[in-house]
Amino acid sequence: MNKLLKNNITLTAGVLILLMVTATIFSPHFLTLFNLQSVMRDLAFIGMIAVAQSLLLLIGELDLSVGKIATLSGVLSGLLMSVLKCNPFLAFLIGLLAGTILGIMNGLLVAKLRLNSMVATIGMQSLYGGITLVLTKGKAITDISPSVSFLGKGNIAGIPMPFLFMLVILAVILFLVKKTKTGRYIYAIGNSREASRIMGIRVEFIRIMLFAIVGFISALAGILYVARLGSAQASIGNNWPMNSIAACVIGGILLTGGVGSPLGALLGAAIISVISNVIVLFGVNVYWQEAVNGIVIVAAIALPSLVTIIRGRKKIRKGNPERLQQAGKGES
Amino acid sequence: MDILEAKHITKVFPGVKALDSVDVTFRQGEVHCIMGENGAGKSTLIKCLTGVYTPEEGEVFIGGESALKNKKLFQKIAYVPQEIDLFMDMSVAENLFIPYERSGTHGLVHKSKVEERARPLLEKLDIGVSPESLVRDIPVSKQQLLQIARATALEGCDVLMLDEPTTSLTTKDTEKLFDIIHTLRNQNKAIIFISHKLDEIFEIGDVITVFCNGKKVSHAPLNQVDIPWVVKQMTGKSMDEAESYSPDHVGEEVVLDVKDLTGDMFQNVSFCLRKGEILGFAGLVGAGRSEVMQGILGYLPVYEGSVTYYGSPWKLGDTSYSVRKGLLYIPEERRAQGILANLSVRENISVSALKELGGKFGLSKTKEQNLADKVIDDYDIKTPDIEKEIKFLSGGNQQKAIIGRSMSAKPRILIFDEPTKGIDIGTKTEIYRLMKKLAQQGIGIILISSELDEIKKCANRIICMHQGRVTGEFWAGTDKEAVLSSILGLDSKTEGEEVNE
Repeated sequence: MNKLLKNNITLTAGVLILLMVTATIFSPHFLTLFNLQSVMRDLAFIGMIAVAQSLLLLIGELDLSVGKIATLSGVLSGLLMSVLKCNPFLAFLIGLLAGTILGIMNGLLVAKLRLNSMVATIGMQSLYGGITLVLTKGKAITDISPSVSFLGKGNIAGIPMPFLFMLVILAVILFLVKKTKTGRYIYAIGNSREASRIMGIRVEFIRIMLFAIVGFISALAGILYVARLGSAQASIGNNWPMNSIAACVIGGILLTGGVGSPLGALLGAAIISVISNVIVLFGVNVYWQEAVNGIVIVAAIALPSLVTIIRGRKKIRKGNPERLQQAGKGES
Repeated sequence: MDILEAKHITKVFPGVKALDSVDVTFRQGEVHCIMGENGAGKSTLIKCLTGVYTPEEGEVFIGGESALKNKKLFQKIAYVPQEIDLFMDMSVAENLFIPYERSGTHGLVHKSKVEERARPLLEKLDIGVSPESLVRDIPVSKQQLLQIARATALEGCDVLMLDEPTTSLTTKDTEKLFDIIHTLRNQNKAIIFISHKLDEIFEIGDVITVFCNGKKVSHAPLNQVDIPWVVKQMTGKSMDEAESYSPDHVGEEVVLDVKDLTGDMFQNVSFCLRKGEILGFAGLVGAGRSEVMQGILGYLPVYEGSVTYYGSPWKLGDTSYSVRKGLLYIPEERRAQGILANLSVRENISVSALKELGGKFGLSKTKEQNLADKVIDDYDIKTPDIEKEIKFLSGGNQQKAIIGRSMSAKPRILIFDEPTKGIDIGTKTEIYRLMKKLAQQGIGIILISSELDEIKKCANRIICMHQGRVTGEFWAGTDKEAVLSSILGLDSKTEGEEVNE
């Protein structure tokens, strides 16, 4: 598995580098500090969500409510700060807690009520979005405390704060996945939930926990986004669910679970961010941007699959030892 | 007449000759059995004969014409795979006739017409299910028969290839299958029958071809050879029929005491297991044996009854508790419930022992590799390297990896559910010896098996189940007929030989 994984990650990284080199050659603006900061700020959010989403995809689940959890948590923090004049960091913490609770609710629906995670989270995202509208009455909430907005707008050594948050999240998640028992159980569950239960792994607990982690990270992204904008509004995070799943697929994570790495998800997110940036830099007509973005994302998703097909053909032509084992020994 | 002929077939994969200049001829009106250990080249041969693989050298002739030049000829060969390969949520009739183009259904598909056409076919094979019922809702053994019916429904098929067709069949259905095979043979079809079960081969076969390491080692009419001959051809060793694998000394201590357990598929099941004992569970497919064990494990719900484990009460409904306490279950469904297909052999072995593999910075890869190497060594698992995904290992080696994994969780009770299903004779013997060794270390072992001979060879005591109830309990030495009638739920009293608890 590791070899395959490394191949996929190298492939994704290769595509990313190729994309960046092309962008540098064709646009003088790409490799400027201002532009790179803007790409990083963009990537920070989609990257965080993609890394979170990768945890769920690894166990064969997904969460389509990440965007609405982010909005609700961001708006809640914003309201506490501006309307209730709450301590900004307390507001921040309450927002995170709220996101985690929403995540746990998703997890309970999926693990305890045995709902399909896609259907359950489609329903829940509508509920969360609705609550946000009730809270804001459709208006943006401004008056975000400057000490908090530094977390969204500020830079340290030229690196945007949200990007640093994202790196910390990535490091923690990678440690969780690669170096802990729970991480190994995540792969086990993704490969076979039944086998995992028979082995005595606490499958339902881990599933709920992962939904909680995803809720927490979504809330963090949402609050940082509010800090970045300086205002809380109901429309943030609309394209996060789809983009995070696309990022994971580009990064080589199987939708069926059990194969891939959160690092791949981040690389996938980076590809998506760079593409959106390049489309703007190349001066694509505003009305066409969305469509072009879609084409490029589908192309990026198709690439690993194309490579697999081509590799497979070559192997069939040459003969393939793995196939031999499947063929010769796999009958039992 | 020779309908299917393979001439000097060689199939090479890098480093290995999977088939080495193999010649086989299949005649019409003949049941041709193929045997060989796992990895002997049987599946590669099948794939060459059905056109999935193109051999590097040699020719395949179907009805005297070269099939490699005219691939359409491969349609004359109907292949029934070992696993159930049906559309679960479609009706029996639909499953029979898909692909419609090849079963003579033209134009629009009319539900009622298709069902009408299905009825005689189902009756002919005596499957006893209605054509409109969903495949998901019919028993596994009927599904297997349906697969065979489906292969015969194809137009213009001259050769029927059956890959271990009886693994999920009940005794009765196996007889039915044999009747079908006889009928087809009388209709002048060629039958290719692949099985690990020697008695079946002698019952149904006309000729046998034995493979070993990609080569055809022998070919003979079955009425001229006997079982020891076949085993010798397959393994190069002679079989020790008399070897017994049941533990010599059974402890007094009762390690598991089950009282009146009732669940979805079993009622009022009571039994006890002693330290160092192998307790056999005999019964037909669907008798509820696996369900009882999965209930004790906490995987399936239990409605009534109690379990005592080493003298203290046992918590039901929590697999994690059971494993922590030392009760492990090695499932029959290796692919779905045993292996973690896309993970490496290393990860598959270590997953049950992770709490002992902690290093300074999370899990220690070195410790993990050492554990995996040790288990691979101890249990003689054949794998190219420890990073290979387990799905590429043969069934026997997957099974040994799962046993090794379970052992690294330090079990006190081990439940083996059909541990030798689909495993060749050589590896079977290894697994028997392993079970005996574990029992003699003081582990209580429960062995569920549908092969009575296997149970009689390994177990100290035998418990029979029929339709979810315990119907008898015997010492291993009891003669086969008494145990059999108990398995079949016949009410024959064999007082003297029954165990008095």
